[in-house]
Amino acid sequence: MDWSALLLSFKLAAATLAILLPAGLLAGRWLAYTAFRGKAWVEALVVLPLVLPPTVLGYYLLVSLGGASPVGQWARQWLGVELTFNFTGLLIASLVFNIPFMVQPVQRAFEAVPRNLAEAAAVSGLGRWQTFRMVELPLVWPGVLSAMVLTFVHTLGEFGVVLMVGGSIPGETRTIAIAIYDQVQGFNLEAANHMSLVLLLLSLVAVGFSFVASARLVRRS
Amino acid sequence: MNAVTGRELVVEVEQAQPMALSAQFRCAPGEMLALVGPSGAGKTSMLRIMAGLMRPAQGRVQVGGEVWCDTAAGVFVPPQKRHVGLVFQNYALMPHLSALDNVALALMHLPREQRRERAEHWLDHVRLTPGQQARRPAQLSGGEQQRVAVARALAREPALLLLDEPFSAVDQMSRHGLYALLAELRRELDIPIVLVTHDLNEARLLCDQLVVIDTGRVLQQGAPASIHRAPRNARVADLVGIQNRFHGVWLGPDDASGDADGWGLLRWTSGLPGDATVTEGHSTVLRVRDKGRLDKGQAINWVIHGEGIQLFDTPAQAPGDFCASVTELRHLGEITLVTLLLDQAPGASLRLTLSGPQPMSLAPGQRTCVRLDMALVHVMPVRSAG
Repeated sequence: MDWSALLLSFKLAAATLAILLPAGLLAGRWLAYTAFRGKAWVEALVVLPLVLPPTVLGYYLLVSLGGASPVGQWARQWLGVELTFNFTGLLIASLVFNIPFMVQPVQRAFEAVPRNLAEAAAVSGLGRWQTFRMVELPLVWPGVLSAMVLTFVHTLGEFGVVLMVGGSIPGETRTIAIAIYDQVQGFNLEAANHMSLVLLLLSLVAVGFSFVASARLVRRS
Repeated sequence: MNAVTGRELVVEVEQAQPMALSAQFRCAPGEMLALVGPSGAGKTSMLRIMAGLMRPAQGRVQVGGEVWCDTAAGVFVPPQKRHVGLVFQNYALMPHLSALDNVALALMHLPREQRRERAEHWLDHVRLTPGQQARRPAQLSGGEQQRVAVARALAREPALLLLDEPFSAVDQMSRHGLYALLAELRRELDIPIVLVTHDLNEARLLCDQLVVIDTGRVLQQGAPASIHRAPRNARVADLVGIQNRFHGVWLGPDDASGDADGWGLLRWTSGLPGDATVTEGHSTVLRVRDKGRLDKGQAINWVIHGEGIQLFDTPAQAPGDFCASVTELRHLGEITLVTLLLDQAPGASLRLTLSGPQPMSLAPGQRTCVRLDMALVHVMPVRSAG
């Protein structure tokens, strides 16, 4: 059992969630409440990481973040960091491929909130932040919860993009999914079996928990 | 504009986009005003402008000395800062909160303990039991949800109370309870109350003043009874549900009688194009009240108030008496809707609502007589537009 790989996966999932949750809430709410020209294309862009082959997404990330790219050069010069084959690169990739998993359920949840509730809140004297906190957030919470679980579990299991952008550096970019692949490559099927089982159970529990919790929240409201 | 008295509501709105709205009205404290008109007429937009949920292109909303909106002076007070109670059409209660918490949400300016106490006070006031107060909206009936919405609006201690189609989703039984509640609130609150409705009976029953709106414009405003007796034009007559509206041509003042001023003659026509030149033999001339505002030969619409129509059996030859046959008879519980075809009038059907034992003797096809009280005929000019 490669504990450092499992730990790294958790660390990556947690960091992804921490950054993507506030951003996803803002973006999902914005997409739900705003109508503008070309909105369909923005929504298509949000879903794109879901339908692209991981290798394609990974390839473009590698090309655009690599040391030879403008972004890579800028990061090296001004921030002193490399953006590929390390944890930072992995995190950026993870943020990108998780956008649809976070934004879509959040957007759907906000769309389901009746618009006149915000107006009723305004007439009742609630400011925008109070309305968000006391009216919108409790109502979108089941959707947000499922977005969080999906993002977390999806990050634990992502393989293709991680391999393309991060390689398999122990303790730095070797996540649990990569470790399983490495073990299978080395004919160490017993270790692969253990790690796969752990990932399977973790995912099942997380997704199951989110379904049960959502159902309970939906029943309550 | 005259000075604003007391805590009177003054509304002036003028805009072409995004929808045409043109209205001016006032509502005194303790008075209930109904905005009536077909759906899409702009009633709800007017309400949203008063609540501050919508900004008019040009306009002014003022309650007493407080100016909430004045586009000319660049004043716009957001809804949070207006003391306005708004009861939404579908209540817009927060589904995740109990009735009590819904009302408490409108009391965020108070410390937490007081919020609960005040919310209970208002919910008691609209007669919800403590058990009902603890329930979420989904567990309450339509009428109960409505009361929660009213309590939430009152919790703001509003200077203006707005109600958007307050009874549309409430069954008949709860409706009468709510009428009583509104009448009571009106007595004790002493603030202007504006109601949006498409139900005229409701408006007539509850309100002191009607503002009839169609396609964003105010067509007529005044006391319900006066609008019913004297609608300004055919559209108003249709909108306020006056059934017996007929066409005619104004023949000018009734000089022949000479004895009394203020009477004129109209020729009853079918209203079809070219009918104004109908031969004398087929037309009926009525002698009605004349206010001297009509030109001779002008096409007119005229209405007669329901009180001015009387059925009787024996033919008489008084002016305004007609022989007729019953074409349709519908018994609806205690009332009966009767349609009569008048013999002398060109193709005119007269609709009336009867109650009591009288209609029992009627049958379709039967001959009867009807007397129209000419003093209750109201004549309106037909404008060239329509």
